[in-house]
Amino acid sequence: MTPGQKENIMRKADKIFGSVCFGISLWLILEGLRWDYTAGFTPGPGFLPFWLGVILGLFSLSLVYNAFKREAAKDDYKKIFPEKHALYRVGLILLIFAGFAIVVETVGFELTVFIFVALILTLLEGYKIGKSIFYGVAFSGSLFLIFRYWMEIELPSGFLGY
Amino acid sequence: MESLLQLMQGFATVLSPYNLWMATVGCFLGTIIGILPGLGPSATIAMLLPLTFGMDATPAMIMITCLYYGAKYGGSTTTILLNVPGEGSSVVTALDGYQMARQGRAGAALGISAIGSFFAGIVGTFGLIFICVPLAEFSLKFGPAEYFSLIIMGMLTIVFVGGRSISKSLMSGILGLALGTVGSDFVQGAPRFVYGFPMLMEGVPFVAVVMGMFGIGEVLVSAEDRMKLKPIKVKFSQLWPSVADVLESKWAIVRGTVIGFLVGALPGAGATIASFISYGIEKGVAKNPERFGKGAIEGVASPESANNSACSGAMVPLLALGIPGSGSTAVMLGALILYGLKPGPMLFQTSSGFVWALIASMFIGNVILIIMNLPMIPLFAYSLRIPYGLMYPGIILICIIGGYSLSTNIFTVWLVIFFGIIGYIFKKCDIPGAPLVIALVLGPMMEYALYQAMNLSLGDPLTFVTRPISGVLLGIAALMTIAVTFKTVRMKRAMLEEEDDD
Repeated sequence: MTPGQKENIMRKADKIFGSVCFGISLWLILEGLRWDYTAGFTPGPGFLPFWLGVILGLFSLSLVYNAFKREAAKDDYKKIFPEKHALYRVGLILLIFAGFAIVVETVGFELTVFIFVALILTLLEGYKIGKSIFYGVAFSGSLFLIFRYWMEIELPSGFLGY
Repeated sequence: MESLLQLMQGFATVLSPYNLWMATVGCFLGTIIGILPGLGPSATIAMLLPLTFGMDATPAMIMITCLYYGAKYGGSTTTILLNVPGEGSSVVTALDGYQMARQGRAGAALGISAIGSFFAGIVGTFGLIFICVPLAEFSLKFGPAEYFSLIIMGMLTIVFVGGRSISKSLMSGILGLALGTVGSDFVQGAPRFVYGFPMLMEGVPFVAVVMGMFGIGEVLVSAEDRMKLKPIKVKFSQLWPSVADVLESKWAIVRGTVIGFLVGALPGAGATIASFISYGIEKGVAKNPERFGKGAIEGVASPESANNSACSGAMVPLLALGIPGSGSTAVMLGALILYGLKPGPMLFQTSSGFVWALIASMFIGNVILIIMNLPMIPLFAYSLRIPYGLMYPGIILICIIGGYSLSTNIFTVWLVIFFGIIGYIFKKCDIPGAPLVIALVLGPMMEYALYQAMNLSLGDPLTFVTRPISGVLLGIAALMTIAVTFKTVRMKRAMLEEEDDD
């Protein structure tokens, strides 16, 4: 990465964040206008979203404007976007996490925990399959004992009944 | 005298076997999780909150308070042995703590940190009692207008004092307020931003937000690389600081404690600023300031005392006014609400037994921590050798359990994932998450106070400035805004002039 590219990273992040917030501000304003602005003596349900939208919009524009206008400061050289392998790791964790949420009610909590841990350890941490299975069982058993058995917290039960 | 009596009753509650056990478990788990690099007290409390589900409010809050203190103690271990501060308030400890560890004095550094933290925790809690009770009594005079103004002032202080970038902190706070508007509104019951998800009718679940932002967000940042930690080894024989070490540090501990408590009690200022100020003062009063940064024991004792007494200080606005001053106390406020308690001055009236048990648990927690920490430091330090790859799946799973058990609905788990991604993006883009979380908790309270105040004044907005206390609070908020704007403009002008000179 060249210094020029690095220089722009933080400013680029500010521009993106500012733009996203500006979009949210427009959404808040439009939604706010759908509801009553006042209700008798008090502000109505649309009052706060509308004004939050207006204020957020102003700050977003100011952030974007400043990101274009200002010279690169020391912080702007900081690397914030992850490298490819880091992005792969974060993406895979989120994917496995999402997979967990999708299957847990069908498969059951304990079995899903086992699969979740074994997958993370094998795919991301480079553990051998045997070791991953061992830790998967250990995690699943410990969480069963602590949360389902000891604390009696209701957790999703799948086709196996637990 | 009455306070002392109530405190004794609080001790009686905490010292019951079950509550004492919960305090011990809280201290132990807080220390263990707090030791993990990158995980500060907010993340620790957020992640371990599910452990308290199913308990009564008193043992649950005792455990949470002990988690808070435990995480503070644990953070020092990582800072000293690894040079990886778990949170802002430990950054300054790393300067001398890590140098001491490299010189073979890790035990002395960890020991003095524990002793300083213990002293600060105890003295800070006494300070809390002396300030909190009169402040809570005074704030009984507050009506909805005063509350509205207080929340505005509190939130602005958090943004102006706490954040690095004021505009980003403000935007984070506004996003938190916007999230707080989700659900049915107070006046008409109109569903706002619900979009057909009945789970959102009662608002965005606070626990899902904090577990996502602080728990999953932190884990994703830490999990970007395979972390291999090589902490400096501590031997049992090296654990205790010498008498000379303690004597050398005694005034540093006292100064750190006083500064920490006073700064910590200000909303937004918190432990980080307290530790930096105390380090600066210690360096200023030292006979040989050149020792600082090279392993001066006062450079560890003072900031560590300051950041622990700041924890007690931060409880003042939380307990007396119901206004959290930091991310950690915002999570605690959320937990209080979760247990059906209404934080603020009325808490002392309606649940005084609970409040005094909570305060007593701060004393007990500090005693447990010093007993636990001094002999067990090598054991805690050893936990740094457990591969992080084995730790983070556990953290994620606890967050999933927390999300699910809130409503026994998978929708909350999706919310945890969503806010985890938001927390990760916030971390990467240097956007503070604490203002969002604080605003999410305070937003609905602020809106409710606004409705009530406007109703009582028959729609006259001048009520906020004509009522004396409310007017003063808004005046302070306005002065802060003007001062910060003025300072920002002056700094920008100076920068432009510098560029012109170049």
